[in-house]
Amino acid sequence: MKSRIVINIINLLLPFIQVFGIYVILFGHISPGGGFAGGSILGASMIIYRFLNGSEKTDEKFKKNYLMKIISSALVLYGMIKGSVFVGAFFGGHSIIGTGVPGTLLSGGFILPLNILIGAVVAITFYFIATLFEEGDAGHGDVMD
Amino acid sequence: MDIFIAIVLIIMIVGSIAAAKTKNILSAIIIFMVYTLMMSILWQKLNAPDLAITEVAVGTGITSILFLLTYRKIKVVKK
Repeated sequence: MKSRIVINIINLLLPFIQVFGIYVILFGHISPGGGFAGGSILGASMIIYRFLNGSEKTDEKFKKNYLMKIISSALVLYGMIKGSVFVGAFFGGHSIIGTGVPGTLLSGGFILPLNILIGAVVAITFYFIATLFEEGDAGHGDVMD
Repeated sequence: MDIFIAIVLIIMIVGSIAAAKTKNILSAIIIFMVYTLMMSILWQKLNAPDLAITEVAVGTGITSILFLLTYRKIKVVKK
């Protein structure tokens, strides 16, 4: 089942999937998509990479320590930004960075950084769920043996 | 009703019944993928493209991958 053709073709295809996921995250406030949809696309690409190249090579590339640091700091930043928007709205300070030009990428105030943080959290969480499925009593890492 | 929506709905009904009735687990997973894809086409047809993208990414991507992982685990246990 683990043929050479499948591995090479999907390794060629993976960067395009990841670019599409980043596009969906970045343009979430002016087109369909957003943090959750783009993050799940990115997470699916990471899971497929783990399927194809084995768990040891993937653990070298995506170190669990760094991923946990990214996800924790993204959650703290999300809480701070969202809380400052909610609290600042009572005092008239909800548009600190300005609203930008409507229709372009830099518009909508805090929605773009919030979408990026949501995307990082969702992608890494889906990747962790898949690694949790792999671990256990019944067998070891690689899926397509 | 639009004829296209009617066809998609019929495929969804047949697919959901077939996914429940099938004995082979792998074909049940693939039929469930087809069901989710038809659901996303229906969302797009009903002018909800945001929901369609989320349905494709989560339903067809993540859920199917997790189902396939579980299917492999079941095979290892049976051996």
